[in-house]
Amino acid sequence: MKSTSMTAHVIQRISGVLLLVYLFLHVLTVHKFAAGAAAFNAALATYHNPVFKLLEIALLGTVIVHALNGVRITLLDLGIAHRERRLFWVLAVGLGALVFLVGAIPLFLHAVLKV
Amino acid sequence: MPDEITYQVRVARSTVNGISTGVQQFEVGLEERMTVLDALFRIQRGADASLSFRCACRVGMCGTCAMSINGTPRLACKTRPLLLGSRVVEVAPLPNLPVVKDLVVSLEPFFAQWKRVRPALHAKNPNSTELARVPAESKYMRETPTKRDCITCGACYGACGIKGSSDEYLGPAAINKAFLRLMDPRDTATRERLAVLNDERAGVWRCHTQYNCTAVCPKSISLTESIAWIKRAMLFPGRFKKA
Amino acid sequence: MRNALNWYLQRITGALLVILLAAHFWVEHFMTAELQRGDLSFAGVHARVSNPVWQVIDISFLLVALYHGLNGLRNIVLDYSRFSARAVQFITVALAAVGIVWAYWGVTAFRNL
Repeated sequence: MKSTSMTAHVIQRISGVLLLVYLFLHVLTVHKFAAGAAAFNAALATYHNPVFKLLEIALLGTVIVHALNGVRITLLDLGIAHRERRLFWVLAVGLGALVFLVGAIPLFLHAVLKV
Repeated sequence: MPDEITYQVRVARSTVNGISTGVQQFEVGLEERMTVLDALFRIQRGADASLSFRCACRVGMCGTCAMSINGTPRLACKTRPLLLGSRVVEVAPLPNLPVVKDLVVSLEPFFAQWKRVRPALHAKNPNSTELARVPAESKYMRETPTKRDCITCGACYGACGIKGSSDEYLGPAAINKAFLRLMDPRDTATRERLAVLNDERAGVWRCHTQYNCTAVCPKSISLTESIAWIKRAMLFPGRFKKA
Repeated sequence: MRNALNWYLQRITGALLVILLAAHFWVEHFMTAELQRGDLSFAGVHARVSNPVWQVIDISFLLVALYHGLNGLRNIVLDYSRFSARAVQFITVALAAVGIVWAYWGVTAFRNL
């Protein structure tokens, strides 16, 4: 049986695992810092590729959805909020889309279109 | 003769061992106030007498006719195809339970979990001859008016996303029953109930607030909130001490 | 008690992560025009992480994130598997070990400051 809150849960799980994978890759890159300026800057240079910038925007979206839905779940769990479906659309989707656009548009313009 | 609308009722059929034999479609004419249960009777009487399904009160009180209707666990006697928004009505047995035949499932796993929380009242003095009263203005009565209506229909059990992958999980109905007993000032089996509610595989921790149970309960019990209340209280088990 | 604590911690670490992550995103991608263009550099990062306050924040961030993420994985295992209690215990220890190695790996990125 499908329901809004169940879909939210599935999204939460998938985004969580994706973020864990990202964290692995992130620490992998940051670890290059120990090898010195040349190695680190070389690693950073590969991420100037527009493909990575798009992935970064996707990361922003994933983080936002996971974070806001997580806040939603916490509010429901603590008995502070009660209307679980409305909270999903307003908080996770509505506010999420807003924050996403605020973050993604400048990222896209500066980094991908080099404006 | 009142106006009738024709529906395509697609019923999931099976053998006597519960082995699926596919979906069988019937053309059923129904008046506007008729229910899925009426449709099933029309099929059984007019088209295929071998169709098996359970029902009893036919007024939404007993919970016997719970089944999956257009993907959602519902009471057949309370579901009007006119309000489903489609001429196609898909009827299947309640999920997460062993199929006996066609739309009949065994509720044994449901009641096995039910029994695990000790659903009976364990009063302080079982030999007392006095009534164990709970005043109408008491905290217990005020905080649980909507939680006591469970008719053990199993819809929540069928809808639960976690029950789909976990045999051990108690399920919403059993936990709600435990909640009622925990809140009851006359009850004394707190420790035994908390032990099973705290179990990693069976207990409240497997609930992930998907709200499927609350969405399908024909008695509109907010089961998820009962479970959440227990989770919050588990950190302070002393909260369950009775006066 | 342990399961309840675990449940609460997942939510508490989640809330902490919202704040820490927002701060991290800001500091790394939005604080200056240079960063908005994506011009991170060794020098820029070096300057920031030489500050012990940032070291504490970054390390805390990593540990909190690892707890939250690996605990989440553990819940997935509990929900979708039929492993025995013994096996789950083993998986928990394994996840904790992965977390410790991961944390060590992250912290030692800045051993040559």
